[in-house]
Amino acid sequence: MVGALWTYVTDHRLQLLFDSYQHVSAVVQSVLLATVIGVLVGVLTYRNRLAADLATATSSVILTVPSFALLGLLIPLFGLGVIPSVTALVLYSLLPIIRNTIVGLNAVDPALIDAARGIGMSRLDTLGRVELRLVWPSILSAVRLSTQMSMGVLAIAAYVKGPGLGNLIFAGLARVGSPTALPMALTGTLLIVVLALLLDAALVLLGRLTTSKGIR
Amino acid sequence: MTTVVADASTAGPTRAERLRLLIQPVLVLVVGAAVVFWAFDRDLTATQQENINAANVSQLIWQHLLITIAVTVIVLLVGVPLGVLVTRPGVNRLRPFVVGAANVGQAAPAIGLLVLLFLLTAKTGFWIGVLPIALYSLLPVLSSTILGLTEVDRALIDAGNGQGMSRGSLLLRVELPLAVPYILAGLRTSLVLAVGTATLSFLVNAGGLGILIDTGYKLQDDVTLILGSVLAVCLALLVDWFGGLAEFFLAPKGLR
Amino acid sequence: MTIQSAKSGPTGVRIQLDHVSKVYPGSTQPAVDDVSLEIPAGEIVVFVGPSGCGKTTTMRMINRLSEPTSGKILIGDKDALSIKPTELRRSIGYSIQQAGLFPHMTIRHNVGLVPGLLKWDRKKIDARVDELLDLVGLDPGQYADRYPRQLSGGQQQRVGVARALAADPPVLLMDEPFGAVDPITRSSLQDELLRLQTELGKTIVFVTHDFGEAVKLGDRIAVLGQKSAVLQYDTPQAILANPADDTVAGFVGTGASLRQLGLMRVKDVELRPHPSVHVDDDVDTARNALAGSEFDWAVVLDSRDRPVSWIRANRLAHARDVASVAEPLDVVSTQSTLEDALEAILAESHASAVVAGPGSRYVGVVTLETLIEAVTTARADAGAKPTGHGAP
Repeated sequence: MVGALWTYVTDHRLQLLFDSYQHVSAVVQSVLLATVIGVLVGVLTYRNRLAADLATATSSVILTVPSFALLGLLIPLFGLGVIPSVTALVLYSLLPIIRNTIVGLNAVDPALIDAARGIGMSRLDTLGRVELRLVWPSILSAVRLSTQMSMGVLAIAAYVKGPGLGNLIFAGLARVGSPTALPMALTGTLLIVVLALLLDAALVLLGRLTTSKGIR
Repeated sequence: MTTVVADASTAGPTRAERLRLLIQPVLVLVVGAAVVFWAFDRDLTATQQENINAANVSQLIWQHLLITIAVTVIVLLVGVPLGVLVTRPGVNRLRPFVVGAANVGQAAPAIGLLVLLFLLTAKTGFWIGVLPIALYSLLPVLSSTILGLTEVDRALIDAGNGQGMSRGSLLLRVELPLAVPYILAGLRTSLVLAVGTATLSFLVNAGGLGILIDTGYKLQDDVTLILGSVLAVCLALLVDWFGGLAEFFLAPKGLR
Repeated sequence: MTIQSAKSGPTGVRIQLDHVSKVYPGSTQPAVDDVSLEIPAGEIVVFVGPSGCGKTTTMRMINRLSEPTSGKILIGDKDALSIKPTELRRSIGYSIQQAGLFPHMTIRHNVGLVPGLLKWDRKKIDARVDELLDLVGLDPGQYADRYPRQLSGGQQQRVGVARALAADPPVLLMDEPFGAVDPITRSSLQDELLRLQTELGKTIVFVTHDFGEAVKLGDRIAVLGQKSAVLQYDTPQAILANPADDTVAGFVGTGASLRQLGLMRVKDVELRPHPSVHVDDDVDTARNALAGSEFDWAVVLDSRDRPVSWIRANRLAHARDVASVAEPLDVVSTQSTLEDALEAILAESHASAVVAGPGSRYVGVVTLETLIEAVTTARADAGAKPTGHGAP
């Protein structure tokens, strides 16, 4: 069993490298987009109770939608391939980021905001230099969660001809009975797990590097 | 001095969540009814009629629910005791391993777990669908049980001990009830994961609404595709709503 | 109370509040109702009053963290309402109760914030940060690169004050800055502020609900009531001696006389001469000195006329020498407050405070009668002057 797996991996290592790169790249780009949109929405709505509740509730509902069903709904709209896949990833990644941004910004000690205004910082300065810097660890933790989720969801998106390692898993499924079926599916699954863990570690490192020592 | 940012943890139902509890079921029923009406009230081709009929659709919904319920039961029966076990003094050392395993279980794509079990056992059917989904959905309940139990105020355990409560009694009458809000929150997440992943169980012949999506996709039949997708979404939202109700009503009164 | 001569003259400017009011939208009652005050340049003016009276709101209108709904505010004779708020605030130091140090920035970064906002160059900012940390008693080498959470509450407050002073503003607004620390730290921080003020001479508006703090720090005190109404605006002595109405008297509390004693010094009162002997006098000389007086005890001096101990007449009767019956003595100086003198009087069984003057030489004693007379005279003097209500 292990022998067959090892043979498979070494035989196809270039293809596997390519698929891995595609998988990770799609996830990274989607989560990046979701972070930009999510933080923006969070910043625009956190002051207004109603808007914030609406933003959180909407993205929360999206998260409840089964990924397979969401992909199914995106097919008539976007067809097959990369676009519905990335759309699904971005939509799913939004909730944790929006929620943590809003909760985090509202949890910043009001005395700090008062101090910032009091010494003459403009609204933008206060947001950029104080509030967002303090909320950053919380946002990053949401980004980690979204990344994990996206790695799994992208695997399912292979069903609608999305990119990445999910294709290996589905190929293994299609070849049931043949000796390459299990190695393919196993390789696909294991690679996704390993890459997910590596990405998470990378994000933790990013967190260490970008979070001020004063608030760790 | 100043605290920086509070944790976004279980802090009681917010106004947004309460609103959702009211609106969600209504939304689900309206949308669900609308899509069913739209799909059924058409001139369907023969192939379409094979799938889009009351008997078939209700059977698929039932299968889907059955899988979800089975997964929930397993997750509770395994996750909660496991969570209790690894928070007992002495067994603490096992915690990182147990949590690590559950973490891997969740990091692994659900689809991968399903396909692997199928290929390994060369079998299909209900349990080949349920077991991988259960492993995938285990982590939220496990980690929230652990979190809930570790969050219990040490002073309360001390008070219980001081009053002469036995370990078991302490667990059942103090620690677990206090951990219930956390466990329920974790359970709700697990439920959503389960019902969502159950859309894939058709791949191993375990039934569920996913087959409608698959058929619609393969035959380029948008009606079946949309029917399947929307029904799956509605079911998921309904299950999530039940989870929300449970969170709200099953939490000990003093903590609400 | 400060000594009004800074090294190069006061650097602070005058602040005028002219019929300033604040009504919050949706309220029928103003939070601040028609307040007019003139805060002289270079002085510490304390706004004191019960919680919720609007004193903090009034102060915050000076740097427009709260916008007045009517009235004029002049800072250094310039209309505060015509300057852009962020610009205004960069020229006013602001220090709050929780220090408000940004936890994600180093101390250096925190203190150098306003100069940074004003676009000073890097070197100038660094030099200024070092200078200020030194000024507030923190070694820059040790503290500048630390983070706020690594400092104690008292140290954080000092950094807060340093940050407020960073751009050398002529005005400082302080909102209960010493409220969150323990009493010992608070006392030393208050002393620090007074010391800084003698060097810098800024105009400081200080808000507190603690009347004792107001008396200790203020050149002038504005006692504020509901809606920030100015109940009395005068020097601490005047308010203590003559509270304008029952509310002020209630706020001043029952310790007014004691507090007044804290504001006067031994050198301000008349000392009573009291018999003294030297430690190497023989017993007969000592007995004779006491025999002729109405007192039954005497101060014992050393060869340089410094009071070192005291003796009772009845012990002298059977003593071989002065030294063997001398009892220990606590001494106050002419610089001590009358409160210290009262303390000494209560502690010694001879019920007086022995005073040492220049060169620590014995000059006389303070008795309870002296103190009573001092307080009565102060009250009479204050009663003769009209009390302040807005203009000093």
